[in-house]
Amino acid sequence: MSGSATVLEDSSTLSKADRWLFKLESLFTLFGGITILFLVALAVMNILGRWLFNIPVSGYVDWVEQAMAIFAFVGIAYCQRLGGHIRMDILLSVMKGRLLWIAEWVSVLFMLLITSVLIYGSYLHFYRAFSNGDSSMDIGLPIWPAKLIVPVALTFLAIRLVFQLWAYSVAIIRASESPVAVPLIEDAATQAAREAESLDGGAS
Amino acid sequence: DTQWNVSLWGKRRAFTEHVEKLAELVSAKTNGEFTLNISYGGLSKNKENLDGISFGAFEMAQFCAGYHPDKNPSITVLELPFMGVSTLEQEIAVSKAVYNHPAVVKDLARWNAKLLMPSPLPQYNIAGVGDAPQSLADFKGLRIRATGGIGEALTIAGAVPTSMSATEVRQALDSGVINAASFAPHAHMSFGTVESADWWTTNLNPGTVNCPVVVNVDSLADLKPAHRDALLGSVDEALNHYVDYYNNQTMAAWGPKLDEKGIERVTLTEAELKTFKDKAAGPVHQAWIDSMNKKKLPAQELYDLVLDTLK
Amino acid sequence: MIEFMMNAEPLQIGVIVSVVMLVFVLLGVRVAFATAGAGFIGLVWIFSAKMGFERGFMVAVKMAGTVPHSKATTLSLSLIPTFILIGYLAYHAGLTKALFEAAKRWVGWLPGGLGVATVFSTAGFAAVSGASVATSAVFARIAIPEMLKLGYDKRFAAGVVAAGGTLASLIPPSAILVIYAIIVEQDVGTLLMAGFIPGIVSALIYAGLVVFLAVWKKDLGPPVKGFTWKQRLEVLPGSFPIFFVVFIIMICIYGGVGTPTEAGALGALVILAMALYKGMRWPSLKGALMESAKLTVMIFTIIWGVLIYVRFLGFADLPNAFSDWIAGIDQNPFITLLFILMAYAVLGMFMDAIGMLLLTLPVVFPAVIALNGGEMVTAADSAFGVSAAGCAIWFGIIVVKMAELCLITPPIGLNCFVVAGVRKDISVQDVFRGATPFFVADVITIAVLIMFPSIVLWLPSLI
Ligand code: NA
Ligand code: NA
Repeated sequence: MSGSATVLEDSSTLSKADRWLFKLESLFTLFGGITILFLVALAVMNILGRWLFNIPVSGYVDWVEQAMAIFAFVGIAYCQRLGGHIRMDILLSVMKGRLLWIAEWVSVLFMLLITSVLIYGSYLHFYRAFSNGDSSMDIGLPIWPAKLIVPVALTFLAIRLVFQLWAYSVAIIRASESPVAVPLIEDAATQAAREAESLDGGAS
Repeated sequence: DTQWNVSLWGKRRAFTEHVEKLAELVSAKTNGEFTLNISYGGLSKNKENLDGISFGAFEMAQFCAGYHPDKNPSITVLELPFMGVSTLEQEIAVSKAVYNHPAVVKDLARWNAKLLMPSPLPQYNIAGVGDAPQSLADFKGLRIRATGGIGEALTIAGAVPTSMSATEVRQALDSGVINAASFAPHAHMSFGTVESADWWTTNLNPGTVNCPVVVNVDSLADLKPAHRDALLGSVDEALNHYVDYYNNQTMAAWGPKLDEKGIERVTLTEAELKTFKDKAAGPVHQAWIDSMNKKKLPAQELYDLVLDTLK
Repeated sequence: MIEFMMNAEPLQIGVIVSVVMLVFVLLGVRVAFATAGAGFIGLVWIFSAKMGFERGFMVAVKMAGTVPHSKATTLSLSLIPTFILIGYLAYHAGLTKALFEAAKRWVGWLPGGLGVATVFSTAGFAAVSGASVATSAVFARIAIPEMLKLGYDKRFAAGVVAAGGTLASLIPPSAILVIYAIIVEQDVGTLLMAGFIPGIVSALIYAGLVVFLAVWKKDLGPPVKGFTWKQRLEVLPGSFPIFFVVFIIMICIYGGVGTPTEAGALGALVILAMALYKGMRWPSLKGALMESAKLTVMIFTIIWGVLIYVRFLGFADLPNAFSDWIAGIDQNPFITLLFILMAYAVLGMFMDAIGMLLLTLPVVFPAVIALNGGEMVTAADSAFGVSAAGCAIWFGIIVVKMAELCLITPPIGLNCFVVAGVRKDISVQDVFRGATPFFVADVITIAVLIMFPSIVLWLPSLI
């Protein structure tokens, strides 16, 4: 199972574009993190409001469900950039060179196809809520903005996947040992060390 | 052979008995040529049942109007507090009247849905812990889990509506997060409020939730005439079975359950109820009419339809 | 071919697509997308067989498209990011070091004393941390150096840290218990509470094992003696914050202040305040937020990905068919349960715990309930001596314990990788060897939980 991985950089257009996109993805992810903090604050306000003034946050559940749509999706491309979506790499870890890049290319293409399907499907889900109407249970918040987050976040994922297809194509053509702009499979130890390091809050 | 998928949720219970009965009747009347394949939660989340109907993933589904008022604004008239419904038969009568109104038919047609039958629920009386309220004034400051119009009405009585999911209610009640909850009797039993409650209001009758069963318009049109007749012709019998089941199984268990748990029955005086209704019903009803007018629905007409049906 | 596809029974489709899904997973497609993809293909197949390809395809697109938002905004899942954040913040607040120091002074005199101290301090940290891997990573840095300094066997030192970390998923808060509760639609608060005593029992069995090993093998490592009562008492204030947070969470949930969701949030806020007080500043707070957000999105993606596949299973009616089959097998239900648990042990060798539970529970859980005697069964009439509601909780704790066991078994044992990763001088093989006795302890714990369901069910029954 892979958690986080190394992504190499150089001065190519591909790598520059990758880093630019990564900045944007990082910003989204930070927004997701701040939303988690907001959720914590909202819950505490709900407790304090209830016990100190007998005024709980009105429509607390409705607000939480709206916030969840943010942190559940906005970081999805960032996570893919770092190879953070879990998978079994038993088979991949014994492959090397061109064969490995071809396998990765096929796997990313498959992801891109299913992501495209989901972009369209979740857009239609949003559009139904937008055109026919949909509102939350307690205080009647409109739901369509939260539903719109899904196709938007998935579109960013699709862009990231296109980048990775590009990078793996370059790697296949050049039979490269160490391609840029894609997460590289690491041996278990390196991977675990990274996971431990992340506790230091050293990310970016 | 025709097979319809039916999307319900939770488990088989009083609330789903009419659909189970309908499946039984339809299969029997068509010699098994037309069957309803009922799924509890496997096909959709309850809040997305209308979506699934709209694109034809399944042919029949149940949902509650209050889950998403803006998806089905016209039938929220049936969830207004203090409309004066007191029996399941009345609930069925007003639901049917409203379901057949052209504006309502049009509202649901946006989802490619046709309202087939209601799932009549009794009034959402309140069960709570602590000292039983002796008068309306005692509701002031009580934290009550209540949604929609019921919540609004209780706010006017000075209570504090508190939102949480139904499964959290029991623990919230035990731990003092809320003092009381508003449910139908079967839900008071299944969500466990009855296990810790000290009192239950017998006649506050603040309103109820309206949960129709709908069918996909195209699928209904595509049915063989004999099959369609079998389906539509079984609705009344299915509803009779439902009412019979609710009254003779659920409500028969309810009274003894109250006695067993030593739960005090709080009965408010007629005078007091009238004061409450005058104070709460008016503003909430007017607010509903105003907001539905904005949505270009014949609000007053729907509202009057309910009251006229009850006469 | 086309004809076969158009005439296939939903159940056949269910089995074929499930095999396709497993192949995707084995080929290394990210689990969330392997499952979502297989689920989508399955939906297309089922709807096409019913209404023709053109319409069927669009219905499948729309159906799959409703799942991500619908499932990701399930209220009880909102606990997960909070639990993850707490773990990251607790480390920054220095809570872990203080805890280990206190445990050392209080129980270090026992044979294998530092090992016992490690077990109890990981158990203590488990009460604020929601994730096993993070717990092992933290204690690999704090406990292993001290043990090596005193001449403890390095395999043992690594093994006890890897195993101790697994306690974090039983003792609340626990992300994985929340996920279980969501999949099987049980009350989250009840499940969290149910994990508490099994977690303690598990810790005690670990501690007993350490003492036994130390007595048996003299060169394992010395006890640490000679702490005066004064020294023992003066270290307590440092570890006090963690008990304070646990106390707050307990009071909050069981003393009438808030729901589990709110309790988690209150705990997170208190630990954030401590971390800030201990000198945490924006760069490391930002790092903690980014890491929490990344882990959260990973978990949510796999949840909705798997649920697209589960939605397809619902249309194929596979879970019902499987549970009918399991319930119909003519043998002792305990033997069947044993086979199910062994299947988990094998699967867990290769899979991540969350992925494994998400993939299997939609089919296995109804089967276990059916095996026990159905959704209405009372404890007296049941196969396992637990009521239907009790079975849901009891099986949850057992299966989570199984998943934890998989964190210390080769070839894929995340906790062992993490420990070996932190300590460059200890190889992964060393950690797996060191963790082997704890594997035995876990098997004993699971046997105890199966034989005495009341260990799991007693605490929740009080509410
Ligand atoms: Na924990
Ligand atoms: Na393993």
